[in-house]
Amino acid sequence: MEMDKINVNNMLAIEEPFMKAPLEQLKRSIRQSQKQAERETAQINAAISNMIKNKDMFSAEEMDKALGGFIERLKILRRKLEESKQEEAQLISRSRQRAADLNELSSFSSTEQPEFQRWCRTRMERVLIDYMLRNGNVDTAQHLIENGNLEHFADTSLFALVMSTERELRENHSCRSALQWCAENRSALRKVQSTLEFELRLQEFVEMARERHVADAIAYSKKHLVAWSSTELPRIQRAMTLLAFSPNTDCSPYKNMFDMGRWDYLANQFRMVIFQLFDLPAQPLLHLLLQTGLSALKTPACISDDPTEHNRNCPVCHLETLGKLAQDLPLSHHVNSNLVCRITGERMNEDNPPMRLPNGYVYSHNSLKDMALKNDGKVKCPRSGQSFKISEAKKLFIS
Amino acid sequence: MDTLIRNNEKLAKHQAGASQKVLNAVDAALKALETARNQLSESIATAGDGDDNCNSTHREAVAKTLLAQVERSQTTSSEQLKELYTNVSKYGKLVDKTFKLDLGGVAESRAFEDKREVLAQTILVHFLREGDFETARRFAAEARLQLPEDTKAQFEEMYGTVAEMRRAPRHELSAAIAWAVANRRRLEAADLAQLEFALHRLRFLQLVEAGQAGDALAYAREWFPRFATRQLAEIEHLMGIFIYARRLGSSPYAALFGERRWEDGAHAFAGAFCTLLGLAAASPLSVTVAAGARALPVVCKVSGLLRDKRIEWSQQNELPVEVPLPDAMRFHSVFACPVSKEQATRDNPPMMMPCGHVVCKASLDKLARGVRPGSIASGRFKCPYCPGLSVLSDARRVYF
Repeated sequence: MEMDKINVNNMLAIEEPFMKAPLEQLKRSIRQSQKQAERETAQINAAISNMIKNKDMFSAEEMDKALGGFIERLKILRRKLEESKQEEAQLISRSRQRAADLNELSSFSSTEQPEFQRWCRTRMERVLIDYMLRNGNVDTAQHLIENGNLEHFADTSLFALVMSTERELRENHSCRSALQWCAENRSALRKVQSTLEFELRLQEFVEMARERHVADAIAYSKKHLVAWSSTELPRIQRAMTLLAFSPNTDCSPYKNMFDMGRWDYLANQFRMVIFQLFDLPAQPLLHLLLQTGLSALKTPACISDDPTEHNRNCPVCHLETLGKLAQDLPLSHHVNSNLVCRITGERMNEDNPPMRLPNGYVYSHNSLKDMALKNDGKVKCPRSGQSFKISEAKKLFIS
Repeated sequence: MDTLIRNNEKLAKHQAGASQKVLNAVDAALKALETARNQLSESIATAGDGDDNCNSTHREAVAKTLLAQVERSQTTSSEQLKELYTNVSKYGKLVDKTFKLDLGGVAESRAFEDKREVLAQTILVHFLREGDFETARRFAAEARLQLPEDTKAQFEEMYGTVAEMRRAPRHELSAAIAWAVANRRRLEAADLAQLEFALHRLRFLQLVEAGQAGDALAYAREWFPRFATRQLAEIEHLMGIFIYARRLGSSPYAALFGERRWEDGAHAFAGAFCTLLGLAAASPLSVTVAAGARALPVVCKVSGLLRDKRIEWSQQNELPVEVPLPDAMRFHSVFACPVSKEQATRDNPPMMMPCGHVVCKASLDKLARGVRPGSIASGRFKCPYCPGLSVLSDARRVYF
């Protein structure tokens, strides 16, 4: 029965990515506000200081015009800050709602409670929503969100950004959004030493080379690639050499550089970096849960050739679906025995001991007793079909 | 966790305050600009072609005042935002402390690499099983999968029936009972004959609860006799209910009328339905995720140690650690030899000694080999757990 108790700490532990996500977005939003405010006011300050220094060079009209300009810019800034305020409030609220939902766990006392089972069903939905959003199955995700009232648990906008940028890279072969994002997050990217921006610039260069716009390519490299020469010089040099080759070349590494597969690589890189920055696990939680879960359930019986070893309730024994997924995963580890009666599926322990029939097959005491009561003291082994008297069954001790 | 929620509320208040102050600061700067502009236009109006030097000094004064105000506004904004960021970081650390797991530490297995379609199919079947047809349809469309039409049709029947059973206050049982009667033989073969009785029992109780004692008795007369052999005790118990027909709430039968009986009935029906379809009683995906919820934290905790030894948890033959599972998630027997603590395999099966104790074959061989020839009873060794003596040839294979 102690297994029916709920280990709250362990259960909460896996929810960590759900709790972290809104906070990282929150931090990013505040940082952006800080930068915007600083930039605007710094420029305005500089302009005003300039007017003071060169007071004789500015007429009243010019000054008035300048002030008008500042007012416009500050109004734009104010609007952006207003938007950030709403977004930040929403993120904090989202974080609270998630915490409240998870906190429900501590109010349950046993896994048998229907409330707990309902909580588990919600968890399943959350995990699936996360999976769907990451995979780009937006319609399905939206439907699950609406059905389960799980708006606060889905990081829809974050994944939408990832999806649209990836699509632009993968399908439209354009680096525009990705580069824009890099520009907005330059310092964060530098902190993790990401070369994503360089890779994107390189790709734009390659596309120019592909179109044989050699002069443009060289100008582009001067503007955007040279900045990286302290760390990426060999690759820049290789890029320049690329101009001497035709896009159909078979000569590697130039062939690889022209390969359209690079766009998929860039999309993956973008995804990985943005997840890293937002502290999200690289793979969906569903994968991790399934993999560890399958391993924990997988026993030699599941992969046995003997079909009588399979239990239809065991997920791993579902060879077409979960069994296939479990193929390359480790088996479960046990230092303690746990016996399950083939007839009833119940645990065989001191209260319901395992009984060995003369043919070697073992069943629970209770199941044999039930069988004997209805069959005149006789029991029939379901696996071999042989019949015995119940008195022939011998009690086993396994510890 | 309560601390977390409280801190969150505090943070929300702070954010509201700080953001407002920032907006106010910008507003102050805007106002300063407007004022400066007004002052300028006044001076343009009054000065005309007049003393340009005086005007330029005036402009300088206006500009200097403006600069000071704008700088002050910026300082306020900057301070507020910085404080807000610090507060958010602190909150973030509290979250880290509450959810102490670092999932990044668990490397994902490559096991799913080429199995995207299998996973998608598994998820699709899950939606169907749970009766979520709309989601199944959308997912199949987005993932470009084939919706197994025949399975869907079968499940649709089940969910219609179960939904009727669950729906208060009618709790319509007729469809479920009709199904159970129609599938009587198959249910008996699958050892699920008690489902039909359970449904009749629900109907019987429903009639009693509605005050229709006569109907209830008639119902019992019609349906209970078939189950007399197996369910006699229960039938006798139920028939006693007529004594208390008018005061069920205070009778010993009160517990039978709990709200849970409908959910239990629905589950029993769904389980039996799925069993007859050859399926598991609960969605395998849900079961696996539930197992994973227990396994992942455990694996996470050891993965740090594994990484030091350059071992990947997913590349091993066995998990590095035991994951405790409840009885509901135990589908196969596992035997761990009490002597060697190793799991039994086909090559190392469990063996029973005449005393009834079971150890694995390898341990048995070790015990037998440890006997010195010419000692007390040659060839005989003592069971590690009781005084029983045995010889190797006495040991018998055990099949769990």
